[in-house]
Amino acid sequence: MKTGLRFVLALLIGLFCILIGVMIGSAGISLVDVITILKVNIFGGALPERIIKNTANIIWSIRLPRVLCAFLTGAMLSVSGAVMQSVLRNPLASSYTLGVSSGASLAAAVVTLSGFALPVVPFLSLPTAGFIGGILTVCASIGLAMRFDRNMQNVTIILTGMVLGLFVNAFLTITTAFSGDHLRMLVFWQMGSFEGLKWRNCAILLPILTVGLLLLQLFTREMDLMTFGDEQALSAGVDVKRTKVVLLGISTLLTGTAISFCGIIGFVDLIVPHITRRLFGSKHRIALPMNALIGGSFMIVCDLIARTILAPRTLPIGAITAICGAPFFAWIYFRRRGGRRHD
Amino acid sequence: MIELKSMRAGYGSEEILHDLSFTFESGKNYCILGPNGCGKTTLLRAMAGLIPHKGEVLIDGQRVESMKRRKIASKIAVMSQINTLYFPYTIYDTVMLGRYQHINRFSAGASEEDRRVVDRCLEMTGLVGLQNRMVDELSGGQLQRVFLAQTLAQEPDTILLDEPTNHLDIRHQIDLIEYLKGWTADGRHSVIGVMHDINLALRLTDETVFLKDGRLAGAGRFQRVATKPFLNSIFDMDISAYMLDALEKWKTISDTSSSEKP
Repeated sequence: MKTGLRFVLALLIGLFCILIGVMIGSAGISLVDVITILKVNIFGGALPERIIKNTANIIWSIRLPRVLCAFLTGAMLSVSGAVMQSVLRNPLASSYTLGVSSGASLAAAVVTLSGFALPVVPFLSLPTAGFIGGILTVCASIGLAMRFDRNMQNVTIILTGMVLGLFVNAFLTITTAFSGDHLRMLVFWQMGSFEGLKWRNCAILLPILTVGLLLLQLFTREMDLMTFGDEQALSAGVDVKRTKVVLLGISTLLTGTAISFCGIIGFVDLIVPHITRRLFGSKHRIALPMNALIGGSFMIVCDLIARTILAPRTLPIGAITAICGAPFFAWIYFRRRGGRRHD
Repeated sequence: MIELKSMRAGYGSEEILHDLSFTFESGKNYCILGPNGCGKTTLLRAMAGLIPHKGEVLIDGQRVESMKRRKIASKIAVMSQINTLYFPYTIYDTVMLGRYQHINRFSAGASEEDRRVVDRCLEMTGLVGLQNRMVDELSGGQLQRVFLAQTLAQEPDTILLDEPTNHLDIRHQIDLIEYLKGWTADGRHSVIGVMHDINLALRLTDETVFLKDGRLAGAGRFQRVATKPFLNSIFDMDISAYMLDALEKWKTISDTSSSEKP
């Protein structure tokens, strides 16, 4: 199949996922009504009488922003995971490798326990803390790795990230142990959820994803070369050290922003890049935007399952991404491996 | 032209090359010979600015550490040993990556010129017809040729080779050397290679640089530098006796297959 055709197909699947995600929920609404409601809200006009005002509200103010946030988060995590894997040249790397989740969780825990709230925008307190905690941990990881090893080899970066992540995690465990009544809230944040995300969250996620993706598109050939190894990239003319810092920075920004609203959601960032590579090849020029589409669609489906399968209870989204993702990943990844040759 | 002036290099606090001075002239091929651990690979890596050094490394008169990677890449390409490949690319895309320094970050992609160069490099390395195969499905020998094509596509003045024949059978080893001889025949390009197989090295060039214990032990045309006592002192064995012994064996090889023997 031609790449162009696959692209269109992925785009259609993405749109389809958004529609399905908006359509299905506790209040059943037909696809036609969903489209009508969206049309009325975007282009103006009057709602037909058969659609209750309340239903229209649920669709436009609750479900659609939630679905879009899920899409944007999935896209950010997947793109950032793909960049990490290529830059660190490790198929097991993910956007969490450098300790972003531990740092974010710890900061979120501290804010929750201390009851600290930002003036003017209290709803941003937890996300801001998570974002800053995550970014600080990654900066510390990269800074330490630079000190340990002036060439910034991948092994050093990965090990430093892991060790620092575990170190920060220990403080998180201690904080959690003393959290008392807040325990439930902390645990839920660490499990991830799109509950209660609104248009204002989309308004923050969308520009950051767009800018991040556009910047990354300028570095696609550097990433291609770096997957062959640092020395090969250097020899071809890539300023490897600088490029690594820039790319790890952008990718951390994406992850940090994504998890700041919805908490820690694992697995997507690890498997979506592999699935995308299988379907669209490794070239980052194509693979990165495709990661955004596939990761976004995947996240919508997972969120859909999480909120409907045991409705009205919502399952932790992180569990669903793993339950759906693992078998799918195994199928995609291993089906073509039969003919591999080694000598 | 690559000049080394009192160059020292190593890894961390361990110095491997001590006070090395030598000039690699452009348009000439060189092979670097010496026993294991004498610093051959370190020398190549220091020359390409891949590892830090003390003293001076000058590429066409410019200090390597003051040059941008793109600038170095336009003059020197290093064809490295094969790494593990984690992410699959097609042969064509892999070779096209060699054009990195020729393609602007903001441009739409490869130009006509880039495609023409890549096609020529695929042809030179005998990869025409295979360009849509994935690199993780190739044999070691094919992969080595893909990386050679990538290195050639970079259009450097000088190619540094580190054990380029590691994964190749004897025919492909000789093929590779022939490609390189062809590439350098115009007198504008040169190859500096680290090779273990002395016979193979001498097929490519007569100019030799001998290293021992991180120091320059001798340099110049092989026939002139490599006396018996000299080779013995470098390799701690009687190389020429070994070669002659091998030659004797080859001389007794029959021209006909055994079934035809009486």
